[in-house]
Amino acid sequence: MNEKLLNMSSSPHIRHRLTTGAVMTDVALALLPATVFGIYRYGIHAFLILLISVASAVATEFLYDRAAKKPMTIKDGSAVVTGLLLGLSLSPTVPLYLPCLGSVFAILFVKCFFGGLGKNFMNPALTGRCFLLISFGSAMTNFSVDGMSSATPLAALRAGEAVSLSQTAFGYTTGVIGGSAIALLIGGIFLLITGGITFEIPAAFVAAFAVFMGLFGGQGFDPNYLLIHICGGGVLMGAFFMATDPVTSPVTSRGQLLYGALTGILAGLFRVYGSSADSVSYAIIIANMVVPFIDKISVPKPLGYRSTSGKPQFPKAAINLTIITLCAGLALSSVYFLTKDKIDEQKLAANAASYKEVCPDAETFVTDDAINAKVEALGGDIYDEKFGKTYINSVMVGKDAADTTVGYVISVSSGDGYDGTITLSVGLDTEGTVLGISFTELHETAGMGMLCGEDAFRSQFAGVNTDAFTLNKAGGSTADNEIDSVSGASTSSGAVVNAVNTALAFYASSIQ
Amino acid sequence: MSHKTFRGGVHPDGHKDLSKDCPIEEFLPKGELVFPVNQHIGKPAKPVVKKGDPVLAGQLIAEADGFVSANIICSCSGKVKAIEERHTVNGGRATCIVVENDGLFTLAPGVGTERDDTSMSGPQILDAIKAAGIVGLGGAGFPTHVKLAPRNPEQIDYVIANGSECEPYITCDDQLMRSRSDGIVEGMRLVLRLFPNANGVIAIEDNKPEAIAAMTKACASDSNISVLEVKAKYPEGGERNLIGVVTGRQLRFGQLPADLGCVVCNVSSLNAIYRAVCKSEPLMSRLFTVSGDAVVKPHTMEVRIGTSCRELLEAAGGIKPECIAKKILCGGPMMGIAMSTLDVPIAKNNNALTVLAQDEVELAEEQMTACLRCGRCGHVCPIGLVPQMMAEAAERKDYERYEKKLYGLDCIACGSCTYICPAKRPLMQLFKQTKGAIMAAKRK
Repeated sequence: MNEKLLNMSSSPHIRHRLTTGAVMTDVALALLPATVFGIYRYGIHAFLILLISVASAVATEFLYDRAAKKPMTIKDGSAVVTGLLLGLSLSPTVPLYLPCLGSVFAILFVKCFFGGLGKNFMNPALTGRCFLLISFGSAMTNFSVDGMSSATPLAALRAGEAVSLSQTAFGYTTGVIGGSAIALLIGGIFLLITGGITFEIPAAFVAAFAVFMGLFGGQGFDPNYLLIHICGGGVLMGAFFMATDPVTSPVTSRGQLLYGALTGILAGLFRVYGSSADSVSYAIIIANMVVPFIDKISVPKPLGYRSTSGKPQFPKAAINLTIITLCAGLALSSVYFLTKDKIDEQKLAANAASYKEVCPDAETFVTDDAINAKVEALGGDIYDEKFGKTYINSVMVGKDAADTTVGYVISVSSGDGYDGTITLSVGLDTEGTVLGISFTELHETAGMGMLCGEDAFRSQFAGVNTDAFTLNKAGGSTADNEIDSVSGASTSSGAVVNAVNTALAFYASSIQ
Repeated sequence: MSHKTFRGGVHPDGHKDLSKDCPIEEFLPKGELVFPVNQHIGKPAKPVVKKGDPVLAGQLIAEADGFVSANIICSCSGKVKAIEERHTVNGGRATCIVVENDGLFTLAPGVGTERDDTSMSGPQILDAIKAAGIVGLGGAGFPTHVKLAPRNPEQIDYVIANGSECEPYITCDDQLMRSRSDGIVEGMRLVLRLFPNANGVIAIEDNKPEAIAAMTKACASDSNISVLEVKAKYPEGGERNLIGVVTGRQLRFGQLPADLGCVVCNVSSLNAIYRAVCKSEPLMSRLFTVSGDAVVKPHTMEVRIGTSCRELLEAAGGIKPECIAKKILCGGPMMGIAMSTLDVPIAKNNNALTVLAQDEVELAEEQMTACLRCGRCGHVCPIGLVPQMMAEAAERKDYERYEKKLYGLDCIACGSCTYICPAKRPLMQLFKQTKGAIMAAKRK
């Protein structure tokens, strides 16, 4: 035995098996169920998105370390996790340059420029996602499957429609690639068991979020409603994988509880009162910014200094944080109310533009009390079973410069799309002749691109005066009221035809 | 069922099976024995022999110098070869009395004679303990006669026997409790006579059921002595944590256990007290574990104080030829000292030699990464500190925040934070340095 070879060092001489690389590997493993499900459901394009986001994240870090002559850090695995998280939080339809851009932004601007792993103060993956949301809003919020778009469960819920909890939980809805709540939950539980994360943040997050939604969501503590909110819109992804990012969350147990609760409340606040499609991402990023403060106020009293009376002292920190949350909430809601009119104005302008498209002769659009009463009399129920699940939303009356009625615009929705709702405006002249149709709601419009953006389909309705259209699945229609189905999308074509027929029926019964 | 424990702590692999059931052998050294004069906390002892003097086993060779100091007893017979500077186990150098061992272990007159302790008064018991040179055998090495003579003996209401033995690999206390439970309980009875208002609690980790059974049986007839099962967790045996677990009282930096009405003694110390008082045997030997996956025959021996570590490792069969020993530790892997040479004597407060092989130290050699701020260090800190923040403050040299806001001086250097850190940052080492710097500045 050569004693010269003995290693001298300070105790402890053994270490836990957990290393930085192992922590990251655990997170990546935990994301596997959601990844597999996303690829299975959305196919090769989703796989490419994930591949590109991971590859560009790693490549960015590699190149930065090289260029900045820093020690190579890619093997700690954090870039892989960032890339994977970013990819999973993208829509499966985004063009392939988006994950690349997002990853470069996340790694270079959010992480490397702040000093690398452990130094960034915002979650890189989420910040990358928010960067993409702001810069490429329509592509980011276009959720569609097999070329057929529909509302996300939360959008549908907001529109007052029935949403299947089981479909939402399994991820058989529209949404991001990593949208399967069950798969995320499995991963989250795996992380909890292996010690990759602790319970504080996810528990406080989900609990605070559920309580907030129960109090302010408008539907009380209806378990179905709350569970859909928890399963949809990235709450679980946020609670288990984004908010728990150790670098950007507080260090102490108490701090983590406060931070989790803050994130949950903010997510609820943004979801109920915010106008953005994304509540969880912004909630977490804003909570990230509060972390240094939470850290400061959450240093626990060590053994020797704790209260011995047995009952825990009411933590001053909790009071502080409640005040902060209230202030933040007030500030945010004031922004909301200040900008609300402006937003409404813009919405009106946007609507007016779409009305104009289907009723070009009108100068202004007004509501008519008599017609409104009839719309309200429907009570938001299905208009007529024979058209499937269709609803009349509203009716506008088009007036020309001389205030003469020149036509009507009927907004109608169908819940029979391939996987959700289709909303469109049907323009009719005073004779009941269809002037044109146009797809309204923002998240619908872009998604309808493939199918209905093409005039070939849409224009079949224009200029026809009929009681009802019929769908010709085979194509090659001869009659005016026959509509050629878009090949391969007969379900959605049928839904559109039914929606238009609903509008015609309503016109015949209530306006004419 | 979960037993009493503290908040935090870690669960390193125990490896206790290696040695815990091997029979205890008495090991008699063949070579010279070396006695450093500073085997305890406090002032080094003053040699009372000189070069060439013949000595006998059990003879006083260096006497306590001042209040906090302890006698040094020769553990073999022979001749004083030298009094010179030598390396000690903790890596330093100290004056050592080197005794040429004649191999006979002839006892000094009076050593080993039975003594009737029932007639002894408190001060007489303390004198016997002091004469025997007993110090805290659990590791700290605080002179026991000083610990047992606090200013407020009547305010002491707990005497805690520390049998938790939370360090991995080490089993000498476990085996002592199983084989010599009567001696430990007798030692406890003697200590309780010094503290009229105290009860004795023997705290044992729940991974030592045999020791618990043996001790429970041994103290069955004593109404004021009980056994407390505590959860097996590191550092359950740390004084501050043990006091918290047993009494619910919280010791802080700068306080002595006696300030909170507690006296904590290792079970080995209690056994040594029994032998000193009832058998007139001064502290010449102790149980000592040689273990580690790289050792041929890991087991616990009764060894003479002053025996060379090299002889002890050889007595355990040496290092397995197929193993590459990466570290030889005096003590266990959590708090032990890595040794640069085996040619050092074991002192009174050393309880084990642990040889770690390559695969055990591999993780400790893992590349350090940036702090992830994951907070695991705070979760495991047995004192409830936040090592992550302490490290930040220490690196900035923000001693004000380190001491006042983060209670950094309360760190007990147990190494749990360093053990758990996924980024493999040397936290405890940094805290030791920082504490040193702050204390040095305070002394100025």
